[in-house]
Amino acid sequence: MITAAALCPAAPLLARELTGADPVVPELRRACLDAVISLAASAPDLVAVVGAGTQTRDWPDVAGLDLSAYAPSLGRVPGNTASVPLPLGLAAQLLDQAGYAGRRTLHTASESASLDECMALGKRLADLADDVGLLVMADGSARRGLRAPGYLDDRSAPFDAEVERAVRTGDLGALLAIDPDLARQLMATGRPAWQVLAAAMAGLRPTGKIRYWNDPFGVAYLVASLSVTERAR
Amino acid sequence: MSETVADPPQSVLRLGRREFAPSEPLIMGIVNRTPDSFFRPGLTWDESVAMERVHQVIGEGADIIDIGGVPAAPGKQVDAEEEIRRTAGFIAAVRSAYPDVVISVDTWRHEVGRAACQAGADLINDSWGGYDERLAEVAAEFGAAIVCSHAGRQHPRTRPFRVAYQDVMADVLERTQLLAHRALAAGVQRERIVIDAAHDFGKNTWHSLEITRRLGEMVATGWPVLVSLSNKDFVGETLNVPPEQRLAGTLAATSVCAWHGARIFRVHQVPESRHVVDMVAAIRGQRPPARAVRGLA
Repeated sequence: MITAAALCPAAPLLARELTGADPVVPELRRACLDAVISLAASAPDLVAVVGAGTQTRDWPDVAGLDLSAYAPSLGRVPGNTASVPLPLGLAAQLLDQAGYAGRRTLHTASESASLDECMALGKRLADLADDVGLLVMADGSARRGLRAPGYLDDRSAPFDAEVERAVRTGDLGALLAIDPDLARQLMATGRPAWQVLAAAMAGLRPTGKIRYWNDPFGVAYLVASLSVTERAR
Repeated sequence: MSETVADPPQSVLRLGRREFAPSEPLIMGIVNRTPDSFFRPGLTWDESVAMERVHQVIGEGADIIDIGGVPAAPGKQVDAEEEIRRTAGFIAAVRSAYPDVVISVDTWRHEVGRAACQAGADLINDSWGGYDERLAEVAAEFGAAIVCSHAGRQHPRTRPFRVAYQDVMADVLERTQLLAHRALAAGVQRERIVIDAAHDFGKNTWHSLEITRRLGEMVATGWPVLVSLSNKDFVGETLNVPPEQRLAGTLAATSVCAWHGARIFRVHQVPESRHVVDMVAAIRGQRPPARAVRGLA
């Protein structure tokens, strides 16, 4: 079962190298690292990482962060033979930075995955070990302002607010109700990963702690920790 | 990294107390202590105005201040004593105001080089190409750096007259490396020797265009390369514009030299030049953008 989870955005600019000389969002990176440190501190049997990808599949745990598709001149990580989708690479880097040396598994849920597909993956991840820590890499709407990547869509504010509420209050079942079509229209790429999270923690009422919740570039970034107390299990 | 220019065998450059990696392009801001230089004549003839100019170009991003007391063009004679009077005291004042900035003296005379180094100069910019062979000895004596230029065997302050080369770049390579080796033999440290093709010096416009196009051959020697392109006649003749309209042409030539791997850029217009060399360094993959967010949020 899932005993603890961490939520982090999967934005490329989380990679410090990509923003150039200016760290741009050091507080966001710090919040992510704190969330992952907290996850590692819960001493799970393994950490399962999930993020959105072009297909639903498992990935070998051999690859680090590969930024070459985003900044060709930065090149590949030396010795890195396989590359994984960016959300998984960012997660792997966070786990490394947090000093987590335990077992980890890497998974993507397809951007177009149905709710059933997400639920199946979530249940499978929960069953990977007695004590699974889940690291969810997911972003909210990218249409939160006139200068946002997807311009402004007024529906994004209530959409993201509901996700934040669900996480903060531990009401993860609400995430299963997210309409994949609406999420796609709002460029909320985190939708499948949130639904994997909700399925993986089905029946639990975790305690949520919001570590960062803002949209400095018109994309909703949510960093949070979820923990399950003995009584709630 | 196949997208970037192949790295030539360049190494660290030492100027004064500072140390510069090959990936760090340096801007040398010109502050002339002359009443009659070709570009904005007399701009910094007054010493207090000259000091204001130093404050300004350092604020604009200059790494090196190049102080000269004699124009390159022929004109009213300036003897060594007068040249020292124009430069040495001012160098001392700049040194006192900026203990760490790199100060260069633009001179061909060893007496002036000595006075300048005593006043705090770190670099002797011998733009007339080793006319006075004792200049390298002065650089060695003071632990200073030296620029070894190709002036096409011209005497100081003379204009080229029907100059011809079988291969101008071959001549530049031969002369600048000869001078560099002489400087080494005189005791100048290897990391303090710079070479300069000296655009327009002993060259017609075709020659200056050719050495710009082939500047990579100088970089490939391993010696750090300085270029002095700023508002020069080869830019003016190429574009048919007077000195005050040569900025765009200067910057175009600057970007080509930067792409080839030149490391020091002697300029009048510091902020524009700083932008060009920083931009080219980023294109070469040697400098990260100042702040990249577009498409990455």
